[in-house]
Formats: sequence, C-alpha cells, structure tokens
Amino acid sequence: MRFPSVLRFFRGALLALSAAALPAAAEVVGDEIVVGTVSDLSGPIALLGVPVRDGMLMRFDELNAAGGVHGRKIRLVVEDAGYDPKRAVLAARKLVQRDRAFAFIANMGTPVVMATMPIIVDAGRLHLFPFSPHRATYEPLHPLKFQNFAPYQDYMEAATRHMLSTQGYERTCLLYQDDDYGLEVMKGVEKGLAANGRELVERTSYKRGATDLSSQIARLRAARCDFVVLATVVRETVAAMAEARKIGWEVDMLVTASGYSAQTHELGGEAVEGLYGVSVLPHPYAEGANSQLAAWIERYRARFKAEPNVWSVMGYTLADLFVRTAEATGPALTVEAFARTLEGMEFTRDYFGSPSYRFTPQDHLGNRYGRLAQIRNGRWELITDYLQ
Amino acid sequence: MLSLLQVLLSGIATGCIYGLVALSFVLIYKATETVSFMQGDLLMLGAFAALGLHLQAGLPLAAAALLAVIAVGALGAGLERAVLHRALGQPHLVAVLLTFGLGMMMRGGVASVPAAAQEVHALPFAADTLAIGPLVLAASHLWVILATVLLAALLAAFFRHTRTGLALRACSEDARVAALMGVPVARMHTLAWALGAALAAVAGLLLAPVTFVHLNMGFIALKAFPAAVLGGLTSLPGALVAGVLLGVAEALAGLALPEGVKDVVPYALLMAALLLFPQGLGVRRGGRGGV
Repeated sequence: MRFPSVLRFFRGALLALSAAALPAAAEVVGDEIVVGTVSDLSGPIALLGVPVRDGMLMRFDELNAAGGVHGRKIRLVVEDAGYDPKRAVLAARKLVQRDRAFAFIANMGTPVVMATMPIIVDAGRLHLFPFSPHRATYEPLHPLKFQNFAPYQDYMEAATRHMLSTQGYERTCLLYQDDDYGLEVMKGVEKGLAANGRELVERTSYKRGATDLSSQIARLRAARCDFVVLATVVRETVAAMAEARKIGWEVDMLVTASGYSAQTHELGGEAVEGLYGVSVLPHPYAEGANSQLAAWIERYRARFKAEPNVWSVMGYTLADLFVRTAEATGPALTVEAFARTLEGMEFTRDYFGSPSYRFTPQDHLGNRYGRLAQIRNGRWELITDYLQ
Repeated sequence: MLSLLQVLLSGIATGCIYGLVALSFVLIYKATETVSFMQGDLLMLGAFAALGLHLQAGLPLAAAALLAVIAVGALGAGLERAVLHRALGQPHLVAVLLTFGLGMMMRGGVASVPAAAQEVHALPFAADTLAIGPLVLAASHLWVILATVLLAALLAAFFRHTRTGLALRACSEDARVAALMGVPVARMHTLAWALGAALAAVAGLLLAPVTFVHLNMGFIALKAFPAAVLGGLTSLPGALVAGVLLGVAEALAGLALPEGVKDVVPYALLMAALLLFPQGLGVRRGGRGGV
C-alpha cells in the first residue's frame, strides 16, 4: 500500500516542477491575444456578469472586424465560476495553462478575486480591473495588478461632504448591510462627516436578504435624521425608500453606486423619486443620448437582443482600455511592456460620460471619484460632475 | 407610540409569512415524519411560476397566482410519489438530504433561465397604502395578514369537518392504526406533501410584494424553521403563532434594542423556549398537540 502512495507523491512533485518550469506566457507570439475572464454567469451576481461579458465581447469583436491590434486578433475566453472560489481556482488554472491567457479582465466578485489573483500574478499574467472593491487589487503596488473601480470609502466620503455642504444637513444617519461592504461605506461617511465636524447620529444594519426594513426605518425616524445614507443594494434601496414614504417621512436619502441602477427606479417607481445616488459611470439611457451613445446602444441591442445597462458600458470600457493600451504598447507585445505602458496611460472622458482613468508607476488605481445623481421623473439624472 | 404600532404591524405581516412556511414544515412533518428542507425553494418556485404565468403567458394575476399554487402543489405530490416516499422508514438524514438536493435542483432549474437569475422582479400587486388616521399601512402587509387568517381558517375547517382532513389527522396521530381503520395512508402522505408545497407557494406569493421575486427569496425558510420548532414541530396553530411571535419580536427588537441585537433575538427566543418548554409552545402537556 505504501509503494503506490510514494509513487503518487513523486508523480505529483514532477507535475508541480514541470508546471513551474513552463515558460510564463510573457510574450505574445502568433496572431492572437487571449484575454481571460473568470465571470459569474449563473450565480448571485450574474446580473453584473452577463452584461459585462457582453460589453467586452462587443468591443473585442469590433476591434477584430477592424483588423485587430497591430495585426493580432483578441480572443475573449469566458469561464463561469458562479461566485464560487473553488470553481474560480479551476477556471483560472485552465485559462492560465490551457488557454495561455495573456491578461485577465474583470474577474467577478471578491471571493473569486481573492482566490484567483495569486494564481494569475504568480503565472506572470496581467490582473486587470477586477470586480472587487478590495484594496489588495491595487495595493501594495504590484507590477501586474491594476484596478479602476473607485473604492466605496473614497467616493462616499466625497459624496457625503458634498451633500452636507450644499444641503446643510445636521443629522446624518446610515442604514447599512452588515458585511464588508457596509463597513467600508460607514468609514467613508464618517470621514466625510468628520470633515464637517459632525458624527453619525444613528446607524442601523440589516442582514443580506432581509425581508422587511420597517423597524430600521422607524428607528432612523425616531432619531430625527434629516439625511440617510444607504449602504444597500437595489432591493433594499427600494424597500427603504418605500417604507419611509409609506409612513410619510420625506427624508433625503443617498445610495452608493451599488444602488445606482435602472432597476432601482423600475422596481421602486413613485416611491424612489428624489433618491440621490452616486454614479461611477452613467446608465446608458437611449432617450436623450448623444449621437455616439445612441449608435452604440443600437449596436448593443442588435447584437444581444437586450437593453444595455451600466454594466454593459463597464465591460465595453474595460475592453477598450485594454485595446488602447495594447495599441500604445506596439507590435512587440509582452506582459512587461503592456504593464509599463499602462502606467503611463491617461484615458480622457468619453461619450459614455465616464470619469478619466489615469495610471502611474506609483498608483495602479485608475479612478477614485463618483458623481451625484438623482431620480427625477423615473430616471437617474446626473446632478454634479465627478467629485474630487 | 405611532411608530411602535407601525413596526408592530410590519412585524405581524412578516411573522405571518414565517408562520405560513413553518406551517408547511409542520404539516409535512406531522403526516410523514419527514423534515423537508426544500420549503424555501418551493416558495421561490411558486413566486417565479406566478411571475412567469403572468408576464410570459399573459394570464391575469389572480389566475396566474392560483395556477402557480396548484402547480407547485402538484409538484409536491409528484415528488412524493416519485422519490420522497422511498425515504419513509429510512433514517431521518435520508429525507433531509433528499429534500435538500431536490431544493438545489429547483434553484438550479430557475437559475438556468437567464432573466430569472439576473434580475429582481416585481409582481404587479397594488403598492397602495391605507391610512387609518395617522396610521399608514402598506396594502401588501394587510394582504399578507388577511390571507394568513383566511388560510388558517380554511385549514382548520378542512381538518375538523372533512373526511379527508380527519383521515390526514388520523395518519399523523398513528399511521398504523389509521391504516387498520381503512385510511389510505399512502394517499394521505401524497396529500400532505401537496398541501405543504402549495402552502409554501402561497407564502412565496405573499412575500413577493414585500421583497420582490428573486432567486434567494427562499432564505426566509431559515427563519421559519425556528418558528416551526418553537411551535413544537407537531402543532399547526403552534407554528403559526410562533411565526408571528418571531416576526414581532424581531421587528420590535430592531426598533428598541441596541444596534445588532435584533439578529440575535429570534434565536435567543428559540433557545429560551426550548429550555423552558422543551415540547414547544403549541403542545399540550402530555399530548401531541391539536391541529
């Protein structure tokens, strides 16, 4: 019995050695660039995963139809991990070893990103713009890690400061989801309040999947809040607003970018009128779109038979950042050269109304800012520019 | 005072849904001695079925809701006939794992429809409010309470006054004696599963206007199970009352107690009840509890 297990050990060791000895795909040879993504197409955040994938596909297909980057086509390989780190690890290995992915873009969800990021950067591949607010995606500085999602803390601090200075609120309160997300937002709001010499008057939490927020809203009302910050997702945002309006409480509320979605006003209707939200990228409304955006929306609809949303725009934008950096890098495309080029890139605002993304050798986080929006007449209207 | 009343009513409404799901647990447990871990998934399935029938097939909402409840009830009966009856006489764990697996299959089935997995949906119920003096009530909450009372009355009448109801009760009391008396026990088991599944679907429909329809709405069963245990696992009124009690306790704790305590309250209550009334609140001392 002992002999086979020893054999198995050696075989394992040999495999491990040979895997380590494989040349990292540091250079692109041939006429194809493989981009991998560990997405969520079936799990709890599939509502982000699917449009992000579609947006990326659309950009890469347009590029390929136009001849590619320096003669090379980009092939997007999508793996569905369903927000499950175990499946994500398998998917990342497959993309690294079999598909020889040059870069990973928009891996989905913090647990997935935390589990796969070491595999990817240890194999010498680029880890670009993951859907995770975690600091480890850009700090400490790593030559292969780049991020462009504004952290909750930074933009909520700015949003809170702005709301207080323009509206003169005196009693700010917080309703938050009791997990990392809620706590990050709380830190940001507290910083913003401290800048105005104030503190949170009341805070109350809910568990993910809570059914009813009436006790939380009653509690906030009892504390006589005049401004409520919501660290909620779409469903709870609507529930909080609906409950407050139901009991006749006309308090101002501000939700993070997680609640900035067309679904918020589609589900909430009348009850969410007047809700403030932070937008890190505007929703692509067909009505009133500029001509470029309108054409883009048409192309998206024709291709996917679905309405684009803010996540489709995000996917398209991320793919676009990749394409433009690859173009700037030149014909000799290596991971190293790509990363150093990205460190010097500045992407100016585009027809989507995105912020400008800027990377430097010292800072791999492309954007820190959000802008304020408000639901007026059943749609989000942007009411400020990006808040510094 | 006003906000207290307001929160109390919301608590009762939420509690009614806990109670209905708990009722479905207990109904199945009493009749077949099987703990069903798929009630949450049946609830979700019921809501999605109504949504699909209404939005896709274009049926009027009431018809869609009725059809969804019947369909989920039929599914419960079908599952009992096909697989669940095989778990009878096996250790408890078999039925637990079996129902757990079936629940996962239902989730998987719904998740494979892209529109279902990716979005939160609203059933177009009236989102109206009703003002009684300074008190404002959500119509959806009133619906929940009303429907629960109505269902409870219907179930009570069914168990008291119909032959089938009586037979089902006989089965729950002692299946062997019931069989000797000519009660078709196997058919009663099928009926219990059908009723349990249909009840869960009703709870799903009632929950829809409160939390919308989405893949994870079945997690409410995590609260309903303590309610069933609190009620003694064998008492139908006990389950309903315990559900309402949990809902109210949770709501009031959120309003009055320090931040963070409210999530502990249902479970603390459950522990206290298990210590003080180990047989459950709804069980008469020495008896197995009424219907």
